[in-house]
Amino acid sequence: MKKLFTILALIASIFAIIFSVLPLSNLAIIPAIGALAFGIIAFYLSKKEGNVKKIIQFTFILTFIALAITTYKSIFTKTEVTNTDAIEAIEDKLEAESMQELEDLDIEIDESELEDIPFDE
Amino acid sequence: MIRISFLLLFLVSISLNAQNNAIGFGEKLTYTASYNMSGILTDLAEVTMETSAVKTSKTTLLRLKCKATTYSKWDNFFKIRDLYESYVNPKTLKPYLYNRDINEGGYYKNMKYTFSHKTKTVKTVQRKKSNWVQKKTVPIGADTKDIISTLYTIRTFDLTNLSSGTSKDFTILFDREEIKAKVTYLGKETISTALGTKTCYKISLGSTNSNTVNGTLWLTADENKIPVYGKFKIPVGTGELKIKSASGLKN
Repeated sequence: MKKLFTILALIASIFAIIFSVLPLSNLAIIPAIGALAFGIIAFYLSKKEGNVKKIIQFTFILTFIALAITTYKSIFTKTEVTNTDAIEAIEDKLEAESMQELEDLDIEIDESELEDIPFDE
Repeated sequence: MIRISFLLLFLVSISLNAQNNAIGFGEKLTYTASYNMSGILTDLAEVTMETSAVKTSKTTLLRLKCKATTYSKWDNFFKIRDLYESYVNPKTLKPYLYNRDINEGGYYKNMKYTFSHKTKTVKTVQRKKSNWVQKKTVPIGADTKDIISTLYTIRTFDLTNLSSGTSKDFTILFDREEIKAKVTYLGKETISTALGTKTCYKISLGSTNSNTVNGTLWLTADENKIPVYGKFKIPVGTGELKIKSASGLKN
């Protein structure tokens, strides 16, 4: 039993660390809570036997590091869009191409229908 | 029999009311797309929906543009730069030209549709990486639209006096195939958004064939009917679309 909880705590803490370094860092909370729960159970079971293994303390350290990274990232990482030069270039290119194409198309719209639509130009 | 006649009446009224009183030129809606797993939200991308006037020598068209860009933290893992645009009749939202340019984690695809409503055909040009080009002409039905103009068309319906459960079918041309979709009105709901607390029309989007619901949209219960919140089914967890800002609204 003690061994099982130790292994579960270790696996959960490793997942917590992996998630925390990925952009999905918020999700690290789920395995971190699991790691803490399994770790505490493993710790008490070991304490009863009077032989607490270092590996359990190691899982606690991993979990705390994961939680620290997650908290840091959620506070200091800005959710912003950068690197939009390429898509802006595509937008301009497509617009130019489309204008050419639309000029060649035979579009029948009754202009009087459009009179009540205010133009924002 | 009475039910059928009511249904027919509804369908007729829907087709009569399908005039654009909700979408004007110069509207810009910005959304945050996020992933929700057990209540923990992770922001993925910014989605913008813009409209503008396009003047050709013959007429004026409405340009509908949707853009999805991942936030900078995702760019090194899975960069998405998607652009969808449709040039439509400003009154009826009938599409004339559609462009789709997607760049998702290194996968590139460009698709162009040129609609010919007289002959009921669409000329398509598909481009992929390293100048791979494929041209094809596909036949379409009378009411077939591209995905962007369909999304905007939903906003033009008069939902004020509908009873919940009423649905309307659409035909969408996507990846050169006609897909039958169904929009069902689910009733009114008040939700809190970045634009304040709004009373909304709740509608579900799904496929006609399988009767499954793929997503739910909340449109503001006013003249503009802007989508303020959306929930979409994905294999694990749910995808969410939340409005961040809205400007240039018609009403």
